[in-house]
Amino acid sequence: MATVLIENLTKIYPPTITYPHRVQALGGVNMSVTGNVFVAVLGPSGSGKTTLLNIVAGVETPTSGSVRAVQDGVPAQVGYVFQEPRLLPWRTVLNNMLYVQDRKSDRSRREAEFYLTMVGLNEVAHLYPSQLSAGMQQRVGIARAFLVNPDILLMDEPFSHMDALTGRSLREYLQRVWLHTRKTALFVTHDVSEAVELADRIVMLRPGGVVFDDIPVNLPRPRHPDDPAVRAVEGEVLRRFDSMEAAVRFGAQAG
Amino acid sequence: MTDVAQRPPAPPGPNDPYGQVPRGAPAPPRPNDPTTFASGFQELPTLPVGDLRPAGDAGYSAPRRALRRPWVVQLIAFAILLAVWQYLTVASDRVPSIEKVVSFMWTEVTGGSHGGMLVGEFWGPLGLSLQRYAIGLAIGIPAGAVLGLALGTSSWVRGLLNDTTLVLLALPAVVWAFLASLWFGLTSTAPIVAVVLTAIPFVAINFSSGVRSIDPALMEMSKAYQVSRRNQVVDLLLGGTLPNAFTGVRLAFTTGWNSLLIVEWFSATAGVGWRARLWYDALRYAGFVGWILLFVLLITLLDRLVLRRLERHAFQWNQKPTLSFAEDWGM
Ligand SMILES: Nc1ncnc2c1ncn2[C@@H]1O[C@H](COP(=O)(O)OP(=O)(O)OP(=O)(O)O)[C@@H](O)[C@H]1O
Ligand SMILES: [Mg+2]
Repeated sequence: MATVLIENLTKIYPPTITYPHRVQALGGVNMSVTGNVFVAVLGPSGSGKTTLLNIVAGVETPTSGSVRAVQDGVPAQVGYVFQEPRLLPWRTVLNNMLYVQDRKSDRSRREAEFYLTMVGLNEVAHLYPSQLSAGMQQRVGIARAFLVNPDILLMDEPFSHMDALTGRSLREYLQRVWLHTRKTALFVTHDVSEAVELADRIVMLRPGGVVFDDIPVNLPRPRHPDDPAVRAVEGEVLRRFDSMEAAVRFGAQAG
Repeated sequence: MTDVAQRPPAPPGPNDPYGQVPRGAPAPPRPNDPTTFASGFQELPTLPVGDLRPAGDAGYSAPRRALRRPWVVQLIAFAILLAVWQYLTVASDRVPSIEKVVSFMWTEVTGGSHGGMLVGEFWGPLGLSLQRYAIGLAIGIPAGAVLGLALGTSSWVRGLLNDTTLVLLALPAVVWAFLASLWFGLTSTAPIVAVVLTAIPFVAINFSSGVRSIDPALMEMSKAYQVSRRNQVVDLLLGGTLPNAFTGVRLAFTTGWNSLLIVEWFSATAGVGWRARLWYDALRYAGFVGWILLFVLLITLLDRLVLRRLERHAFQWNQKPTLSFAEDWGM
């Protein structure tokens, strides 16, 4: 069983020449995710969502605090769908998939083709990324994340780069694929309806990287964005954001 | 070009990534097996890929279409060059005519007499120059590549050698010519060393800038996925460096040839450069012009037929169209 345990995680970026101030991206995040759950991390732009995933993925180091991502006691394999596609421009779609495989055997090729079919892109396996639309590139990124058979799936606003129509159908897809694989998922988004549609639990971040709320979403799946029940949870989430903002503003005035 | 959207969806069978199970044996249940989903996946709308062929020139009238053929354009350029030469021959008696140059070079090729004790020589000097050139590049290009990769990947090496490389890059070939002949005298070593020393900085600088142009985001991605060292070196490092590397190699070929000529001109007793110098000193301008033209012709052909093709191959992933004003303005 996969576990992500985040304790008192703080990330402060040092001043740079162009911006001579310290930036607190994460301010003491505590969070624990265990088992086959889909957790959405919801927050406005700049609230440290990408930083959080980068630290979980081991790409960035925390300033203080700790992150452990384990599967049955050993470090977990992560599949990471980045905010941008992050494909090697000089490799074909198929070779981009094979890049994350250790060996380039027939089997790994067939696996890669399977997941490309999953996102509807097997036909373009031999094109280069520059020949695909932004949404298609992002779908390659999604296929790649599934290809490594991850213990933990990290996704950073995977649908924000594509048109609403493609995003909507991929969202539905992701929901169905996830129902079958039930990978432990950390899904970052700033889209409330996306979070409610996909997640078992929504962790809400505010600027400065502080968790201010954490609400369960106990709705049956598959969910549809137009469901009244889904709409109701959306309303609740938005209401909590508003009251947080009001509190922050009030606090600022008082101080 | 097939329209992808109209193709029937592939059957789920061949796409089964767990097809390693022996035939007949029931597949062991896999809790995470996504293959059960295969039929569902086909409902995903596949996007039309579009026609990737170049737009072509179907919209032009026949004569204009002919004018757009690359070889026609090159023929025109060549004709203009000959016309200018012909004009200069008439205008100045210092410029040998086309016929004189051709017949002089014919005497060289056939080994005929140029009058007095001078006889034609062609394959000897040409072969020797090409040999020196090949040896020089065979040493200089790999050496430059290793240096460039080191410069690109290690800031320590960069601190140590970057300025030196830039100085080497800035030194004109004629300096190498004099230095090499000072060190090695009138031997074959001097021209070879000059080619090596000219090639190294060009290759090194381009390899290094290729490495450094690789997007750090891709390195992050590789780290997150724990991509194997081998894949990182082959696909990320070398794959990302290749286009710049080709530019460097191409430059090494052209500048190496140039410096070879200069060294042979000043300090050799054989070779293309030496032969051109010989006829220059003997005031036989037809010979001088003939050999220089041969020299230019060789490097142009090499660049056209080999290097540029290789470079285009290295760049094929970069499908961005190049801008052409003529086409934008409907010319
Ligand atoms: N490499 C960096 N150096 C300095 N500051 C950074 C760096 N990366 C992020 N930051 C800062 O950290 C804060 C959080 O950034 P982050 O990218 O995690 O936000 P985000 O929630 O993902 O935003 P978005 O929704 O726009 O993607 C921002 O204020 C940003 O300016
Ligand atoms: Mg982000």
